[in-house]
Amino acid sequence: LAVADAWMNRLYSWRYNPLYHSGVVAASLLAIVMVTGVYLLLFYRIGSPYDSVAAITERIWFGQWIRSFHRYASDAAVVATMLHLVRMWLQRRTWGSRALAWLSGMVLLFLIFVCGWTGYVMVWDVQAEALAREGARWLDALPLFSEPIGRAFDGERTLPGAFFFLNLFAHVALPVGLGLVFWIHVARVARPVLVPPRPLLLATVGLLGAASLLVPIAMAPEADPFRLPGPAPFDVFFSFFLPLTTPLPAWAVWAIGLTGGGLLLAVPTIMRPSSRRRPLPSVVDERSCTGCEQCWIDCPYDAIQMVERTDGRPYLVARVDPDLCTGCGICTGSCAPMGVGPPGRTGSDQLNAVRAFVADRPVHREVVIIACSRGAGGIGAQPEFDDARVFPVTCSGNLHTSTVEFLVRSGAAGVLIVSCPPRDCWNREGPLWLEQRLYHDREAELKPRVDRRRIRLVFAAEQERSVVGAALAAFRADVAPLDAVAAEASPDVEQDCKTPAPSVAEARG
Amino acid sequence: MSRVRWIGGWLLGIVATGAIVGLSRVPYAVSPTDHAELRFAWRYRSVSLEQCRPLTEEENAALPAHMRQDEICERRLQPWRLTIWVDGVQVAEDTVRARGAREDRPLYVFRKLTLAPGTHAVRAIFAPIGPSEQRMLSLESGVSLDARQVALVTYDPDTDRLVLRDVASP
Repeated sequence: LAVADAWMNRLYSWRYNPLYHSGVVAASLLAIVMVTGVYLLLFYRIGSPYDSVAAITERIWFGQWIRSFHRYASDAAVVATMLHLVRMWLQRRTWGSRALAWLSGMVLLFLIFVCGWTGYVMVWDVQAEALAREGARWLDALPLFSEPIGRAFDGERTLPGAFFFLNLFAHVALPVGLGLVFWIHVARVARPVLVPPRPLLLATVGLLGAASLLVPIAMAPEADPFRLPGPAPFDVFFSFFLPLTTPLPAWAVWAIGLTGGGLLLAVPTIMRPSSRRRPLPSVVDERSCTGCEQCWIDCPYDAIQMVERTDGRPYLVARVDPDLCTGCGICTGSCAPMGVGPPGRTGSDQLNAVRAFVADRPVHREVVIIACSRGAGGIGAQPEFDDARVFPVTCSGNLHTSTVEFLVRSGAAGVLIVSCPPRDCWNREGPLWLEQRLYHDREAELKPRVDRRRIRLVFAAEQERSVVGAALAAFRADVAPLDAVAAEASPDVEQDCKTPAPSVAEARG
Repeated sequence: MSRVRWIGGWLLGIVATGAIVGLSRVPYAVSPTDHAELRFAWRYRSVSLEQCRPLTEEENAALPAHMRQDEICERRLQPWRLTIWVDGVQVAEDTVRARGAREDRPLYVFRKLTLAPGTHAVRAIFAPIGPSEQRMLSLESGVSLDARQVALVTYDPDTDRLVLRDVASP
């Protein structure tokens, strides 16, 4: 995955890397499928399914193009959804407060497939018949139906219109359910991103639209119960299982399906780290909390609430819900007084660590790298990169601006901050908030007294070591002409940054 | 973004779109060979068999007072047997039981046989298992099948006999 990310970044840059945006691309494609589906629905007839689809394809204005677009967008949605699923799984973003998103994502995937199957059955060509027969065979293995469903396709009697009505109802109703599950999917995520960057969206729509125009889909032979179908075009994305399941008895299909489904649903439990390795949830030092609400705003999982204080001070205090907190530590970087963060990873802890880092070996006239330990060209785990010392943080969003200021005031020629690309942050919004704290005065901002020429933020994925190398060389060249900063013996940035909590007497006026 | 990257990006997008288009129309045959099929399918209402026996004192004592009775009866539909011969060779003998947990729903027959294209002599007997008021059903017919053609043997309730259909009929 890291290699694929790096290649895609080279081609599209991290802003438009489709692998980073697979989830929102899937959502956008499903929206396209719904819009095109409404148009097709206007001309579909339950009484003559095959003939009405043939009429759409051959006679209706834009019919073939819209139908092709509907098909290709559905297929692309499956691809994007699978990429999103695999990405989340490989990055182990499946447990804790993300478990709901994983589980609802599984339901979404299942619904997408069912929507696709019912859509194909609507056409009632040979692929539709094969899907319907196979589905009926599975369902007839369950002791649920007094009359076998498969009987409808034996040719013993004309296929009842109720079958196509129910199928159409499912095909139209399921997308509504899809919307509801999608809402649950993003329910525990603050500020969910729902639309991909415009160039990526336009390129996706443009390519699929052009393919629909240049290679439109054609009608396959009509389903005929008195004729065994010969080779016909099948859609691999929705019918991939037919060659695998058709030779198996129905009970075996159920056994494999239920086992596979159970394993997928158990992923949040299976991948949950042991309590020893699990990041601890953030805690709030209520004495330091000024009620500024920034941690509440910045938390990517809505795990922080602002509640009434019990000590009589006239403002709110942050409180972390440990069940929702992933221990990402984004709040560490958002709290100017260093009053919140996972134990051992608060702003104060970070400042102590950077003090020890400088005490261990002075950084005077050196460029120091601060790197995220997950991605960032993979350099966060090593002490030095290209003769520059590396100070690691668990996420760039954890980085407290006081740490950056401390390094500059300790005489560093410059601080190169290497972060994962914004859409690839394991904690969703770390790089975004960091950039705003450094350059756009977001709360817990880097103080104006720090020379911005000595600070540089660069985004690099795990395999993009060369990007870091190039950025470091360019940064070194840029800071070389600057005058050396006199190293302060003991820069007291903590006191500068800290907003002293007022005493009870002061607060009460 | 350099021109090379721009072109490379679009090329990859076009290849990915081409892959989606190609994979959405892969030729596949559910029935890979050119054989024919003889299908037996119908719904049939069998007669109800009732088996009654007196409840013992112990069984009655174990029941709540309002459920005690002298006799208990179990009803189920009589099972049937389908036997098929093709070209004089017996190829199937199935017991067909009524559906439902209590075996009180109709019987549904479904059997398919793969045959080589050509003309075949088909004989089928559908008979109740055990004594019955209902008469057995039978069919003896020649059937000529092309490659991939399906012939259906089914029950015609109007004439109360098995019939052969080898073309789509309403």
